[in-house]
Amino acid sequence: MKNLYIFIVVLFIPWSFSLAKYDEFEDGDDIMEYDDNDFAEFEDVSEDAVTESPQRIITTEDDEEEATVELEGQDENQEDFDDADTQEGDTESEPYDDEEFEGYEEKPDASHSKNKDPITIVNVPAHLQNSWESYYMEILMVTGLLAYIMNYIIGKNKNNRLAHAWFNTHRELLESNFALVGDDGTNKEATSTGKLNQENEHIYNLWCSGRVCCEGMLIQLKFLKRQDLLNVLARMMRPASDQVQIKVTMNDEDMDTYVFAVGTRKALVRLQKEMQDLSEFCSDKPKSGAKYGLPDSLAILSEMGEVTEGMMDAKMIHFLTHYADKIDSVQFSDQFSGPKLMQEEGQLTKLPETKKTLLFTFNVPGSGNTSPKDMESLLPLMSMVIYSIDKAKKFRLNREGKQKADKNRARVEENFLKLTHVQRQEAAQSRREEKKRAEKERIMNEEDPEKQRRLEEAALRREQKKLEKKQMKMKQIKVKAM
Amino acid sequence: MAVIPGPPNQHPLPGTPADPRDPLPGTPADPRTPTPTPLYKPPATETNPALEDPTPDYMNLLGMVFSMCGLMLKLKWCAWIAVYCSFISFANSRSSEDTKQMMSSFMLSISAVVMSYLQNPQPMSPPW
Repeated sequence: MKNLYIFIVVLFIPWSFSLAKYDEFEDGDDIMEYDDNDFAEFEDVSEDAVTESPQRIITTEDDEEEATVELEGQDENQEDFDDADTQEGDTESEPYDDEEFEGYEEKPDASHSKNKDPITIVNVPAHLQNSWESYYMEILMVTGLLAYIMNYIIGKNKNNRLAHAWFNTHRELLESNFALVGDDGTNKEATSTGKLNQENEHIYNLWCSGRVCCEGMLIQLKFLKRQDLLNVLARMMRPASDQVQIKVTMNDEDMDTYVFAVGTRKALVRLQKEMQDLSEFCSDKPKSGAKYGLPDSLAILSEMGEVTEGMMDAKMIHFLTHYADKIDSVQFSDQFSGPKLMQEEGQLTKLPETKKTLLFTFNVPGSGNTSPKDMESLLPLMSMVIYSIDKAKKFRLNREGKQKADKNRARVEENFLKLTHVQRQEAAQSRREEKKRAEKERIMNEEDPEKQRRLEEAALRREQKKLEKKQMKMKQIKVKAM
Repeated sequence: MAVIPGPPNQHPLPGTPADPRDPLPGTPADPRTPTPTPLYKPPATETNPALEDPTPDYMNLLGMVFSMCGLMLKLKWCAWIAVYCSFISFANSRSSEDTKQMMSSFMLSISAVVMSYLQNPQPMSPPW
């Protein structure tokens, strides 16, 4: 808006300038040569004839290439000047006679009336004005682009620095616990690259493997999109923080069957809605962990009370209470299959594959304004992860718990099967029809007529048998019903 | 599957409990295993395409639409917005994505701006 005002002011200045000049002409006080009018000397000077004013070229600036501004009634002023000049020239020696000016006075009246005609000033096209100010929108755009590029470079570097600070802090702990630290999947053999894998300007991955109990651990550093200016501006409205997501895939024999989660209430509510396993096995609302000495900010979602009892040992409680502000959610699940898949009913024919997983989501302190030093405060959380891996291996449900867990899983499977019963029936039906069709085709394609007859008879016999079986079943059902 | 010959760390005293080169992996002293480690699998984005951030794809498409508008309808502001969209798409893109796609949308938006100004050198008028 400021630029708009400047622009308007800039336009006003030459316009008012030209207006002022016309005032001068009308007053006739300063009888000066109007320098800008190059054609003044060629003007036909006659008092009587009021010729049509030829086109005048007035340049608002000295540059000759400027566009024309057309004016009507401008000639009268020139004629006045010229009249005055000639009159001055003629009657230099004599005093002015009133008579001589009689006719002249009419002229000013006539010229006045003519001056009442509207003066149309055509706008000078901006690109001919030859001033940078008229291109202010373009300058704005380019400035915006430059700002975006600067922010991209700064944001990218900051994320990079944060990622490497995190890795340097955690490298020792990881290397002492895992044989393979860092693998980008390009080599067929498992070789440790010892480096973070950059997926994006704000996402860094690290795959660690080679430890007892677990198949592997994938660490994702999900930073804020500092490289995108739009995101930076959006974050000014809604603060968010960087996250570290750790997903440990356990070996099948190293974890018992249970589903358990602890974290901030908000995060748990969201996870319960989104995650397949939490929604199916943990039907209750998140419970407060105050019973175990956890701070109020944390809540617990569990499949059964025994799991909670087993998980909440002293060390775990210590970890959770001390680092409660950094913990977003912790999820141990043997039925982990990721978030609920939004699929159409017809596509769901099989339960999604499940893996025994431990999931950790940590918030980096600083709420967006993190510095590399903050990464050191996440080191104890990594120790918690390692401890949890060992604990998950050691923790076993007792007989009751195991029975309950098995019952739960059977129930979930049954529900799923019921839901998909119709689809499976349809699938089976279509499969049977396909088989029949294939057989018929085979029979048709058989060249030997004998073979054809034999195959047809075999098919007929099979169908008869099936019909008999069905009839027997129906009879049995009827008998039972009676 | 190849067996890793040994832990990569160097330790001066072999045979002590704290030695990572302990021949019995899996003991409390060395939680690491020499068993073959599974190769890195790409993270959940492959299995959950819905979780992927759609911003770069949307911005790419938007940029192309705006640059076509700017070229066809000779609207300067369309061309400028196309340039912005292609920049945003580039900033949000994944490293695995094709750079050719990025470059092509970027070039298209730049050409839209240049063509609009060649055809009509007037400065852009604000829409208000």
